[in-house]
Amino acid sequence: MKELRLAKKILKTLIKDRIQYPGRLFADTFGIIARCGILLVLYAYVFKINNGVINGTTFDIAAWSMFFYFSFSTLGLRGISRSMMQDINSGHIEVLLSKPITYLLYRSWWQIGMGLYSFIVISIFSTLVLAAIVGMPQTMTVGLFLPTFFLAFIGAILLSLCIYAIVGLLAFWIEDVAPVFWIIDKAVMILGGSYLPVALFPDLMYKITLYSPFGASLFITHTVYESWATVWHKLIGIQVFWVLVLGVVVYMMFRQAVKRVSVNGG
Amino acid sequence: MKNELYFAFYAIKKNIQSSAELRTSFLMNIIGMAINNIAFIILWVFFVRSVGVIGGWTAVDIIGLQGFTAICYGLSFSFGAGIRKLPDYVASGAFDRFMLSPKNILMRVATSSFSASAVGDIIFGVTCLVIYGTLIHAGIPQVLLMFLLVVLTTVIFFTVTVVVYSASFLFIDAQLVVNGLFELFFTPSLFHGGAFQGAMRAFFIFIIPALLVGTLPVEIIRNMSMGKLAIVGVFTFVWLVLSIKIFNRAVRKYESSNFMTFGG
Repeated sequence: MKELRLAKKILKTLIKDRIQYPGRLFADTFGIIARCGILLVLYAYVFKINNGVINGTTFDIAAWSMFFYFSFSTLGLRGISRSMMQDINSGHIEVLLSKPITYLLYRSWWQIGMGLYSFIVISIFSTLVLAAIVGMPQTMTVGLFLPTFFLAFIGAILLSLCIYAIVGLLAFWIEDVAPVFWIIDKAVMILGGSYLPVALFPDLMYKITLYSPFGASLFITHTVYESWATVWHKLIGIQVFWVLVLGVVVYMMFRQAVKRVSVNGG
Repeated sequence: MKNELYFAFYAIKKNIQSSAELRTSFLMNIIGMAINNIAFIILWVFFVRSVGVIGGWTAVDIIGLQGFTAICYGLSFSFGAGIRKLPDYVASGAFDRFMLSPKNILMRVATSSFSASAVGDIIFGVTCLVIYGTLIHAGIPQVLLMFLLVVLTTVIFFTVTVVVYSASFLFIDAQLVVNGLFELFFTPSLFHGGAFQGAMRAFFIFIIPALLVGTLPVEIIRNMSMGKLAIVGVFTFVWLVLSIKIFNRAVRKYESSNFMTFGG
């Protein structure tokens, strides 16, 4: 109950903050236009010269799949690595650990709260724009879509937080986690179906996507394909598996890490 | 001018020495960034394999594109990383120290910081261009052209960055806004050049010069296109003049935040 109150308070405070200072919303809007908007225009041209179909996939399906990736990225969950590294390198972690809150939960809610306002505004607006321009594929209108999309979305949040929290916690052992972050982040970017929709993946890459935590963290990009109706339970199962495994890893790492905190006073 | 350049080189040398003090972190940043960049080659090569040749662009051209872009980015942000700190300097009042310096403000700001990870971009970029040159069996004229284009496109990249970051003087807490604007310029420069056609291509050459730093150089080398080389040359000059003028005008908007503290 106490944890829920904390989460509510953090989310409320950060949303108010974001509404007051809309800089992040502008930046995210530019970001999604630069990445997703331009990419979709290019893909529209590429599909057009391939008679509208590539690898059995039509443009509207590829567009929605990539849009889900970029829309999810506006939540900015990967930023948890940097926040944790800053806490650890600056020594601020000592203050946070001495408070009657769970550090990992606090950081997770904080990270969600930081991007929630941009995510909601941009996602709603972009969804309407995309629906108006390319239309809704038939796969998104079936009854199964919304509930399974919601499950994959929750799984994506949990798994992303676990992956990036592990990178952040590495700051207890190594001086600068930025290089590790870049490599993990690019693995998520490639296997998540960002610039190349999953339907265009070669076989081996598709298999790696299915069974690695990096690909599993963005199964929302798979929800728009026709195959989703038959494989959704398998993919959600893989997501749950990785959330449990990486959740345990985060917990174990955190327990070890806390023992390494040395308070030097000042 | 000679004194300004001497000071700039001195500042860069000190920045490098300072970064290299943390040896492990320095090396990890360089290697990490080089590995990180491979992601874009993987993505676009798979793209070419899936959709075929578009606008005459093959997987080999993607390697050249990533090479040019990485070198521009690396050279601009290793030695001139200070320009990316401009929003911080302006917001915190730290820009005062540049105003009070007798040296050229733009040069002082640019050389005030060094990014080790950008050295990884340079290494990656050079490797890509060597591979690209080998794969296309580049002759002496193409190799010389490559050197010339690296210089020209780096100037374009840096000057456009100066224009974008000059917006720091126009907004309160401009970090997020200028980063968003920079993204609008930089991201398309990494995309498959052959897919930009018609109005889209014109827009990203003449309005937002993203294609000038990677796409056009690859096409110039591949086709030995002197017309496109002339476009890159003219735009290098235009952006150079424009960036100095815009930066100097933007500096006039600066108001010292005058962060004063008392005590130790």
